[in-house]
Amino acid sequence: MRLGHVIGKVTLSRQDPSYRGGRFLLVRPWAPSFAQATEGRSQNQTAGPTLVVYDNLGAGLGHLIGFTEGSEASKPFAEATPVDAYNAAIADEIFHQPPQ
Amino acid sequence: MILARVDGVMVSTVCHPSLRGCRTVICQPLNEHGAAEGTPVLALDAHGAGQHQRVLVSTDGAAARAQVGDPKSPLRNTIIAILDASS
Amino acid sequence: MLLARVIGTVVSTQKDDALQGRKLLLLRPLLVDEAGQFRPGPSTIVAVDSLGAGQGETVLFCQGSSARQAAGMATVPVDAVVTGIVDNVDVNNRTIYPEPKAAK
Repeated sequence: MRLGHVIGKVTLSRQDPSYRGGRFLLVRPWAPSFAQATEGRSQNQTAGPTLVVYDNLGAGLGHLIGFTEGSEASKPFAEATPVDAYNAAIADEIFHQPPQ
Repeated sequence: MILARVDGVMVSTVCHPSLRGCRTVICQPLNEHGAAEGTPVLALDAHGAGQHQRVLVSTDGAAARAQVGDPKSPLRNTIIAILDASS
Repeated sequence: MLLARVIGTVVSTQKDDALQGRKLLLLRPLLVDEAGQFRPGPSTIVAVDSLGAGQGETVLFCQGSSARQAAGMATVPVDAVVTGIVDNVDVNNRTIYPEPKAAK
């Protein structure tokens, strides 16, 4: 699982039938360099490419989320659903302090 | 399994039911010299690892699902050992 | 999942039986850059089409073992499937797809 910021959303005109009821978030992965460099720098120092994450928790723009990738991302569903990135938690806050 | 250092925690109230009440920590992967390598990952901590302690993180989803007792959990990373300070 | 633009098709006659009748698409992933604009990703990917996506369309695709969870793909030996055709993409409350029309 990784952390990422919700930067937007995607809507689909046609989709796999199993997607009904889900939402799709555009997510920019979080990285410490980003977290520590927010002042005076672009808000988007990043830990990798943006991706689309399936959401049924109700995360919105600006939220920090914990998302799962790979086959585990399709585990929470009752029927087979092609999801390789799943929003598992909306972070209220994180405490992050690497050693000096 | 990867070697990592606990660099923080995540607090979440809105999460998958299998994560409710669990402690989720931010783990920084380390190389053989103990230096940070790669970006941090989230892991379930059932052992009470302390800040900056070195841990072993398993990335086996099946073991994670067994640990939380939910075959439908999206969890993947779990702390399976806290390394001795001297090692 | 990633967003991608359909940049072409791949045609094969001799292929795994489970792939018979399946359309293969050539995809260029679309990442969102710091300015909130689409930027092409570094790799080209071949994915199976399950929805009838056409050249130039923007799609959502799923990779890895999850890809076989798509409708009708359980027994098909593939690791990338187009699972959505994109209607709209918003970044920071600004629509970046479909491309906004220039102000008159």
